[in-house]
Amino acid sequence: MAASSWAQVPKPLQRLFDRFPLLTYDATALPERSRPATDDTLPTLYTFTTSEEASLGHPSFNPSCLKWQTLLRLSKVPVRILPSTNHASPTGTLPFLLPPRSVSQTPIPASKLTDYIRTHGSPLHPAPVTPRLDAYQALIDLPIRNAWLYIVYLHSGGRADGWYIEPASKDRLIRYALRNGLREAAASEILKGTGMLSLELEDLDLEVLEKRGQEALEALAELLRESETGWFFDAEEPGVFDASVFAYTYLLSRHVSDRDISGTVKTAAGGTLDKHRIRMLEMAWPGWDEEKL
Amino acid sequence: MANPIGSGGSSAGASTVTEPQADPVGLLTVLDNALAPASVHSIEVHGAKNTRRSLLDHIFNPIIESSRNPNTTLGEVTTQIGIASGKLSRLGIFREESTRVFLADAPRPQPGVEPTRTELDVSISVKERGRFALSAGTDFGNSEGTAFTNAEVRNILGGAEKLTLNARVGTRTRSAYNATLSAPVNGNPDVQVALEALKSSAQKPWASHDEHLTGGSLKLALAGARPGDSHSFTVASIWRQLTGLGAQASPTVRHDAGDSVKNSLGYSYLRDRFDRSGIYSLPQSGHQLRIATELAGWGPLQGDVSFSKTELEFNKTLPGPKTSGIIFSGGLRLGLLYPLPFGYSLQGTALPSRINDRFQLGGPTDVRGFKIGGLGPHDGSDAVGGDVFAAGGINMLFPLPLLGADSPLRLQLFANSGRLVALKHKGKSTEASPSIVGHGSGAIFKGVQSAVSDLVTGLPSTTAGFGLVYAHPVARFELNFSLPLVMRRGEEGRKGLQFGVGINFL
Repeated sequence: MAASSWAQVPKPLQRLFDRFPLLTYDATALPERSRPATDDTLPTLYTFTTSEEASLGHPSFNPSCLKWQTLLRLSKVPVRILPSTNHASPTGTLPFLLPPRSVSQTPIPASKLTDYIRTHGSPLHPAPVTPRLDAYQALIDLPIRNAWLYIVYLHSGGRADGWYIEPASKDRLIRYALRNGLREAAASEILKGTGMLSLELEDLDLEVLEKRGQEALEALAELLRESETGWFFDAEEPGVFDASVFAYTYLLSRHVSDRDISGTVKTAAGGTLDKHRIRMLEMAWPGWDEEKL
Repeated sequence: MANPIGSGGSSAGASTVTEPQADPVGLLTVLDNALAPASVHSIEVHGAKNTRRSLLDHIFNPIIESSRNPNTTLGEVTTQIGIASGKLSRLGIFREESTRVFLADAPRPQPGVEPTRTELDVSISVKERGRFALSAGTDFGNSEGTAFTNAEVRNILGGAEKLTLNARVGTRTRSAYNATLSAPVNGNPDVQVALEALKSSAQKPWASHDEHLTGGSLKLALAGARPGDSHSFTVASIWRQLTGLGAQASPTVRHDAGDSVKNSLGYSYLRDRFDRSGIYSLPQSGHQLRIATELAGWGPLQGDVSFSKTELEFNKTLPGPKTSGIIFSGGLRLGLLYPLPFGYSLQGTALPSRINDRFQLGGPTDVRGFKIGGLGPHDGSDAVGGDVFAAGGINMLFPLPLLGADSPLRLQLFANSGRLVALKHKGKSTEASPSIVGHGSGAIFKGVQSAVSDLVTGLPSTTAGFGLVYAHPVARFELNFSLPLVMRRGEEGRKGLQFGVGINFL
């Protein structure tokens, strides 16, 4: 930053300034709560997770966090996971990555993570340039995500409370306020996703949303069946799209196994999608034994 | 006179206590003997149209009661009347200058019979202040300027109840809204209860974030035994949201981002014995003591944070040689945050403090020559605060050569030091763990002990300098030139000029 000329300190004064302070001690130690946050050796991926799962590097319960966590693991970029909230993020959403302090203090949002992976890990399989990609990506971003949002945030007994509300505060009033805010946000996302903004939350029907999600999963499974490599779009290695699909297939089968949509993950196209899920898991979390959890 | 300046809520509501007028009507000079027996025959209050009878009863009953005693003297009666009229004016619902007290000999029940004592008819005329008041203006708190609008509804139910609505924006306050409903207890203006709701959003540039607060409190404020003394007891619940982080926010700040609820009990004591009779707002002599202590999360309070936090401040001013216009002053501030376990046990594990609970130190109104929050632990460029601090300063004010001792403009020489330390637990390394680890009571005690001993390890961070002080009745303005003598790495000192506005300087 260039100081404007009038702000420049005259030479004699500068010489005086340079002699002070007369005595400089070592820096004062950081508070106890800083300790987990200020590890200097690894970049830190801030995600929605619990501190226990973070310390073990377990998959996040948030689809977007899991997608990037998976890609970082596939590309062998070593990161530390920290549990966090949207308030900590430069973009207002998780995940984001903070490089080691010795490198930079500028956070890297999810949208720039592919570039980061390209320069810091083994390169990712580039997304195919095909108009079909957008169409299939939309299947993930709309029907599958909508079904997930409803099941997690709006359906009674959804997991949102344990994942997002309870860690935020112990106070019942605050939890109530946060829950309402989260439910509203989820509903408006779904309404946006269905393109029916005139609808109200009450008009949303879980069965319809889940059915559409199942259809989308079937379509993805059919696409995958066409592939000769077992990865989407005939790629040699799993890429960004595979991670996007895996984030949902993993979470649906792990956390909402009681619902029909989870069954679809298992059975779609004769189990093609489920095989993809298992292969992804083995590559990103080698030796991972889900039964132990 | 009430101080018109809000000083960040720390002044416990500048009280309007004035000395009771011992002789409101100059009666003693008229009547030859204050020791003559007297009683009150009647009391009439005129002009209190919207004021409840019960409120006035609370104020005037002591006069009636004391005059029932046959030994009551005229001097005592007038003293009582003085106390009552003092209370009336402290209620804040009457125009001060309009209150008049008239005394008259009551007509004798039996003409011709010599009375054994003087019977008085007391007549008090008051003018009520308007019920609604709107005001707008600017304030200088410590190191912050704000613009406000204020709406007041006085004497709502006739019992001197007051509702105040306040909205403000400032140099660092993005917005702040307050609603306060207050009332005297039992008609006594020296015992006030206040119910407050607040919502605010403020920038904390020294730690790259914004803090949103939503909460409420119930406060009992008592005037102390002597004018200038006050006590207050508070129960408060606040939802704090640490958000809007700067692009370069440090990992420490990112880690503390999000929501937390603080439920606390507080007590504060102010003893203001400054003699401000001289020039403008500059105390000429005397001292001031301020103690604030807070217990959060303990027992039934719950919430997300649990600790006790105590702050003490002492300032003393000594006049220099007579007519020299020189004033010496010194101040000392101490603070300690002690993490506590939740619930009633004192043995359980306690969580380490968060950034919004820890102390910040440094800035033009405390340790001059440092940026705001310039002292203590820094993560990158963020001042992340500490759990224990001590700060002290001495300064000497003397008149400018040509302006003399009557001018509000003074020269000052000063030196101030401070030390801000965070609790740190030695022993087993938890570096690899992403979780915040709680500590047992023994470990906490050792941590506090070692932090306190850190305060005096080595010289404190110190600056010295000189400058100009302008003592305006509204606030004190300072322009100083200073240089740091002792610092810690990471601390942010300022070499050269620093401007400060505030009320409460170290």
